[in-house]
Amino acid sequence: MINARRRILVVEDDPETAAQLVDSLSGNGYRVDLAADGDDGLSRGRSADYAVMTIDRMLPGLDGLALIQRLREEGVATPALILSALGDIDDRVRGLRAGGDDYLVKPFAFAELLARVDALTRRSSTVIKETLLRVGDLELDLVSRTANRGGRRIELLPREFQVLEYLVRNQGQVVPRAMLLQHVWDLHFDPTTNVIDVYVGRVRRKIDDSQAYPLIHTVRGVGFCVRAPC
Amino acid sequence: MLLAKTLRSTTLRLALLAIAIFGAAVIALFAYVYWSTASFVRSRADRAIAAEQAVLLRAYADAGRDGLIAAIAQRVAEPRLVGGQYLFADAAGARLAGNLSAWPPALVTANGWGSFDAPAPPAGAPPVRATVATLGDGSRLLVGEAVDDLDAFARKIETALLLSIALIFVLAGVASVAVTRRTVGRIEAINATSRAIMQSGLGERIPVRGTRDEWDQLAANLNSMLDRIEGLMAEVKQVSDNVAHDLRTPLARMRGRLEKAYGAPGATEREHALIGDALADLDGVLRMFSSLTRISQIEANGRTDAGRPVDLAEIARAVTELFDAAAEDKGDRLVVGSNGAALVVGDRDLLFDALANLVDNAIKHGRAGGRVTVAVARDEDGCEICVADDGPGIPAHERQHVFKRFYRLEHSRRTPGNGLGLSLVAAVARLHGARIEMEDNAPGLRVRLRFPPVPAAAAEQVTRA
Repeated sequence: MINARRRILVVEDDPETAAQLVDSLSGNGYRVDLAADGDDGLSRGRSADYAVMTIDRMLPGLDGLALIQRLREEGVATPALILSALGDIDDRVRGLRAGGDDYLVKPFAFAELLARVDALTRRSSTVIKETLLRVGDLELDLVSRTANRGGRRIELLPREFQVLEYLVRNQGQVVPRAMLLQHVWDLHFDPTTNVIDVYVGRVRRKIDDSQAYPLIHTVRGVGFCVRAPC
Repeated sequence: MLLAKTLRSTTLRLALLAIAIFGAAVIALFAYVYWSTASFVRSRADRAIAAEQAVLLRAYADAGRDGLIAAIAQRVAEPRLVGGQYLFADAAGARLAGNLSAWPPALVTANGWGSFDAPAPPAGAPPVRATVATLGDGSRLLVGEAVDDLDAFARKIETALLLSIALIFVLAGVASVAVTRRTVGRIEAINATSRAIMQSGLGERIPVRGTRDEWDQLAANLNSMLDRIEGLMAEVKQVSDNVAHDLRTPLARMRGRLEKAYGAPGATEREHALIGDALADLDGVLRMFSSLTRISQIEANGRTDAGRPVDLAEIARAVTELFDAAAEDKGDRLVVGSNGAALVVGDRDLLFDALANLVDNAIKHGRAGGRVTVAVARDEDGCEICVADDGPGIPAHERQHVFKRFYRLEHSRRTPGNGLGLSLVAAVARLHGARIEMEDNAPGLRVRLRFPPVPAAAAEQVTRA
């Protein structure tokens, strides 16, 4: 598995949430260390080389934001995903300002957590500048901004192309709705309607209708995944 | 600005009314003083003239016409009255004695008191106050006195009176403007603070000047009221933060377990569907919960980094791009139009969310196969964004209620939604100082958000960027 030998630090005080986090992360091939409070998180965070840290916003002892700030001050650049039970609008901004790299509001889907953790671990790996993206028999030409499936041109609106490009770039990974909105529409909130599903639905009709196999899959309660059959 | 406010001020109007009443009283008082002083002076002069006449009449009674003539001659030689005038004439009017050469025309037929201009006067000579008596044989005696001092006295009083009235009006005017300005200034400080509080939150306080007057007391009372409100708001926020935390933690666990069960192998199709539905319901509850928190947050203190210039036209295009698939599903046409960039200072996420809610409503509640229009316009009074559909619309009497939380119209009960969308729109509009108008689109509903013009400083920031 690609995640083998990747270590993750989970800083979480609620035992059951912590257990679920450890469970689902290690189920996906990560090696997980758990810290139950901020001070423990600080000592672990500065001592070992982690691929990603997930940090609860409200921790006993050293608070989540203070913890990230301290680590950043000490030069620890490990990507940090803040998990917050606060629905506060400002809180995301504060979290990112304190040095967090991503922000997820509790309760979250574990598939979304995994998608975001994966995205953060990929962040450090070098980005290759491609001009052509492929999945199955679908080809995206990033220069002419056109899509072909099985050699036949598919007409897409510019925004539809952006949606598809983001999904294909993350092929094999679950892309949560919120991440799609964030990267394609530059939005940082969860719209209360199913509008994004409807939008992706239209892209799917254009891509998958009357084809041998579907490429765009819906992951219930989370988002979407582009995947070619093995 | 302050001058205009001063002129409109109730205090100034009250002060002017007070000046008018006071001025009328002062004029009445001075008139009384003038009148009574003048009549006192006049009656003193009249008494002197009457006494002189009495002496002469006694001379006539004692020694007849000749005695009177002699007495008059003596009086003319050694005047007892200042500027005394005497004339004794027979019944035909011929002069018998005295220092007047002829009977003054004003008093030819008169008996008793009167006055006339001095004969052969040097210019500006004072008039003469005189009394005329007709004697037993039909001859007539006039005794008079130049009333120079009386007139001078009256003029002095008049001058003093006019001067003091003028002075009183000037001083009263200055004093009332000063008092008004001070009052207006203090009220303006309270107004400015209230506006600041409505705009940016409860952090502002009314300045207390330390004069311990009633304005300071008012300011102090309002400030302690604000302290109390702020304290209560902080408590409410603390409680809702705790509720959010304490409620979300078990919900997070519950969602985690459901998700695990959903992904676990060995579940039947039916169990799988049940768990999926439970997850979807739980997500619905969570979304409603976060919508509520979000609205309360926006309403409570606004967002600290609300205040970047954003283009409503760009937001409108992005929103319509997001919704055009949804519109297409209903067979609607979704049209967007603008007359160029429309900048407002605000928060893109919130404005996007608000507009998304309006467009979502227009598509959901509009006519299937209808037309939804999003129009952005800018003019010198600010920007506006207008979302219109051609569906059944909202009856006029319901329009004011639809911004309430969880309010749903009867005919929309079956469409998905939680009745929070327009509450969020209203909260976002308020945060941005925008006005919401709902109009009949005949047919359909038109919702208009009007934003105030962008302050010059912020506009400049955009042009430079």
